[in-house]
Amino acid sequence: MTPHSPGADQIDTLLWIGFVAAVILVVAVNAALFYAVRRFRSERGAAPRQLLSGRKLQFRVGAVLTIFAALLFILGVVFTDKAREAPSTGEAGLASAKTEPLKIKATGQQWLWRYDYPNGAFSYYKLVVPVDTAVELELLSTDVVHTWNVNDLAPKADAVPGKSHDIVFSTEDEGTYEGDSSTLSGQAYAAMRTAVEVVSPEEYENFVKTQQSEIEAAQERVVGLIENGEVP
Amino acid sequence: MSPSPHPELVVDDYPKKRPRWIELATSADHKDVGQILICGALGFLFIAAVELVLMRLQLLVPENTFLSPVGFNRMLSLYGATSIFFFALPLTLGLFYYVAPLQIGARGTALPRLGQIGAALWVAGATILYAGFLFTPSEAGVNPLAPLTELAFLSNNGVDAWAASTGLATLGFVLLAVNLLATLRMMRAPGLAWRRMPIFAWAATVSSWLLIVIGPVLLAALTMLLIDRNYDGIFFADGSGGSPLLWQHLSWIFFTGTYMLLLIFAFGAIAEILATFARKPLFNRTVTMASLAVIAVIGTLAWMQNMITAPIGIGWTYFAMLMSLALVVPFGLVIFNLIATIAGGTLRMRAPVLFAVGAIFAISIGLAAELEQSLVGAGWHLHNTTDATAATHFALIGGAVLGGFAALYYWFPKMTGRTMGELMARFSFWTIITGLILGFVPLFFAGADEGQVVDAYKYFSGTGVTAYNVIATIGVFILFVGLLLTILNAIFSRTNGAPAGHDPWGGDTLEWFALSPPEPHNFDVLPDVRSPHPLRDIREAIGHRTRRAEQAAARESQPVA
Repeated sequence: MTPHSPGADQIDTLLWIGFVAAVILVVAVNAALFYAVRRFRSERGAAPRQLLSGRKLQFRVGAVLTIFAALLFILGVVFTDKAREAPSTGEAGLASAKTEPLKIKATGQQWLWRYDYPNGAFSYYKLVVPVDTAVELELLSTDVVHTWNVNDLAPKADAVPGKSHDIVFSTEDEGTYEGDSSTLSGQAYAAMRTAVEVVSPEEYENFVKTQQSEIEAAQERVVGLIENGEVP
Repeated sequence: MSPSPHPELVVDDYPKKRPRWIELATSADHKDVGQILICGALGFLFIAAVELVLMRLQLLVPENTFLSPVGFNRMLSLYGATSIFFFALPLTLGLFYYVAPLQIGARGTALPRLGQIGAALWVAGATILYAGFLFTPSEAGVNPLAPLTELAFLSNNGVDAWAASTGLATLGFVLLAVNLLATLRMMRAPGLAWRRMPIFAWAATVSSWLLIVIGPVLLAALTMLLIDRNYDGIFFADGSGGSPLLWQHLSWIFFTGTYMLLLIFAFGAIAEILATFARKPLFNRTVTMASLAVIAVIGTLAWMQNMITAPIGIGWTYFAMLMSLALVVPFGLVIFNLIATIAGGTLRMRAPVLFAVGAIFAISIGLAAELEQSLVGAGWHLHNTTDATAATHFALIGGAVLGGFAALYYWFPKMTGRTMGELMARFSFWTIITGLILGFVPLFFAGADEGQVVDAYKYFSGTGVTAYNVIATIGVFILFVGLLLTILNAIFSRTNGAPAGHDPWGGDTLEWFALSPPEPHNFDVLPDVRSPHPLRDIREAIGHRTRRAEQAAARESQPVA
């Protein structure tokens, strides 16, 4: 993962914190275990020392572990809250999204993602968003549970049918970010991928306008065909 | 005076000796039922391992076509059900069911028929899952999330078979747990207070309570699922009053509880083994026993850990994180006490110890990885990646396979009167450890660094995960060989192992007082229980008496001045 948004940066930091904590635990347990197993082998004539622990030692060990867990909990909450902070649209961002985030609907269906933009345009597979702009993605599903996952930009989140689930992100780096779905959703689950293309606000406006006009043209053509009786 | 005549025993119609398999199939004796569960579980371990190898072969190279997408999903569903419901839980319960009554000096169980019915239901469940020629297997995954399991999305009867099979097995486990609990509560030997319970029998108590709580939760969910599918129910359908998330809550309560149960079992067995082989009492019994109970409660309360990407409100995910992190304390205390039990002792490195130490190693890695995932923000990245697969496999292969094998090597002499081959055990152990590390450590990297998704039938080239998957496939092959070695070891040692005697390891608890294998009624007489280690007390008393006799003899032989 290479984080490209403030939220993903925080997640990356938390991953490192968790990784260090995990390594500390694994090393501590296995070093002690390995030492004990090497050191206290049976020898001819040696009698085992019948060590028993009092309450005090157990309390001390328990206290150390509690402090360790409490510290991780606090760090977890702090960085998760930072990752959830709604970003604001910056100078280079979309002008119309300065006051409130740009709202886009992402609908999962077996087995592709559809994105609906505010002006009525839509696209499949590829989501186009303007750079440096707060984007609020409303995750919906028409059939089963899907997980929208573009982890360079935003936290992973489930699209559950009958529920809506909002995530907010923004990025300052233009480019294309690959993503996928990460909840088993049936046969073609592994092929249900997606991509987010981050472009300048002008390109974004162009894109949604073109999409809208092309969709309208296509619809008009279909309506025309039906009215002419060429399509039943 | 003429000697009195012997009392005559007159029996007419002495029951004919029936073949062993009929005896076994119709017996309600806890040892027979336990053996059925253990043998069955080892068989299903082999099947689960084959399924895992097939799935790994499909994931050997990018965009492989060895298995079809549907074939892969079916294999995945079978693997999940087999490894949890037909290997891990029956092995655990079978060992509890065989050993725990012996450990408390019971001459049988409180409700033997209940346990027999439990095992029969489990066999029925297994038969339904694998009677695949009658229907197609489920395609919905390890924990099949609603609404994918609804009729609209999977219309063949695979999901019905899955639900029936896991439901029957779970019902069987609950019945076994009820009997175990009644036995452990009512039939302890005189003097065997709760505080003197052997730690493995205590683990059986905690696990039985846990199963009685979580088992019915899954049964309720499965009933709803079957109503949804067959009687137009709407429990898990979206809209019109149903909720897909309800299934996630109910099923994760069961699966998270099961996860904890397998670890509680492993730690119970490891504690017995390390104390016996280091010739020391457990470092602190009270704290270890309390910690196992706390793990059951807090661990199960962390079920929403599995739902941190679901729309459930951030507060609930913080609650799950709090519960998961709180587990550091009881797990830490148990592991601390286990290692401290070795310290100062004289450890004999026999097969059970080897597997027990390996189990702590694997569980520590698995739990540490779960800890990283429990941090909500980090979990958003790691959830449903192969990092999660690797963490679960480290913890549960550590608990059910390494811990289960440790228990098997330890109590096998009690069950059969023969010891399992030591050399084969060592080969098997090192092969399993090598396979586990090669097979699952690469998945940590593939998941955490490259975000490879879980349960997918293929991955794409250019995503940077090919090398990891190749190594993982090789590792799983090695793991398979290691598992096979212990299964073969058990089969051969049953008839050809070295005769063990009633107490091959110098154990401290009452099961070693019985014959190997025990008589149907377990014990003719029982010693008084005055401490958690009655057999050690007997050995010490004999030692004292011998020393006194020697001293007396020495005094008498001295010349009188």
